[in-house]
Amino acid sequence: MQWQQDDIKKYVQAKEYIDTIIMPLQPFHLTKDEKIAQTSYENEILTIFSNELEKELSGRTMRIPSYTYVRSADKEKEIERMKTWVTDIQEQPFEHLFFPTFDMTWKKHEINLPGNLIWLPVTQVEEIQSKEFKKWIHENVLQVSELIRSYW
Amino acid sequence: MSDKKKQVTRRQFLNYTLTGVGGFMAAGLLMSPLRMAIDPVLQPSGDGDYANVGLAVDDITKDPQPVEWEIEQVDAWYKSDVTQKAFVFKDDKDEIVALSPKCTHLGCMVSWEGSESHPDQFYCPCHDGRFTKDGTNIEGTPPTEPLHEYEHKVEDGMLFLGKAYPRGEA
Ligand code: FES
Repeated sequence: MQWQQDDIKKYVQAKEYIDTIIMPLQPFHLTKDEKIAQTSYENEILTIFSNELEKELSGRTMRIPSYTYVRSADKEKEIERMKTWVTDIQEQPFEHLFFPTFDMTWKKHEINLPGNLIWLPVTQVEEIQSKEFKKWIHENVLQVSELIRSYW
Repeated sequence: MSDKKKQVTRRQFLNYTLTGVGGFMAAGLLMSPLRMAIDPVLQPSGDGDYANVGLAVDDITKDPQPVEWEIEQVDAWYKSDVTQKAFVFKDDKDEIVALSPKCTHLGCMVSWEGSESHPDQFYCPCHDGRFTKDGTNIEGTPPTEPLHEYEHKVEDGMLFLGKAYPRGEA
């Protein structure tokens, strides 16, 4: 399910079946000219990845808007803010939370996160329409859905 | 001075544009019934929307195999390439069957023989939904209707798939 009107209407009718949250962690910045392009590229492909992952496991997962933060922000403080999201989410019967990201700085804070980090190494492709990139998405979606299923 | 000149030009430009848009919108209103009739995107497509899925008919076996292809999907705001998926096989009467892998319960992707304890069935990992090979939902599992079936045709020995329909309406 996506956090969109049509899907949410379905969700409300079938809550007991949907127990897993997909919340991508996306850094944002406009400082450092030489890095912006890379971060925005990562943002783009993480969005594609998360949407494809949702499609694979649509009936049991809800892909909510990405948790967005300033790249340089203090991660422990961000975790506190993230917990307010999680508290809200858990008003509903969600049992599993997954946070896909390309931002490896979360790795060090993994233990304090209010859910499961899925850190993906970035792939550099010229063209997101390319066969190569589609293959990358496809393989990663399959592997990550397998990982998620192992929690069910 | 050149600044002033520019401003005038810009305003003129805006005026032109706005008039243009208004005119265009009016034309759009007048034309819309006609457009509905001729625009292929808005037409409920029965045929003509088949895609070559890259599978030769001779390579279709009795075992369901996954195929993927892309179609251009246009909705109100976006145009995008969407990946379509199907399981293709020949049934006992040697007829080609192409089933949508989208579970009819809540939409996860099913896989053929995805559960070791249920060979010869489609399996949905989300809530253990199951379907027989012909797509019929198995009672006692969450799905309440069969897997949808793609309309298909064969051209030059290649398989073409169209839209997926609930079973019985194809
Ligand atoms: S989505 Fe397939 S069994 Fe629920």
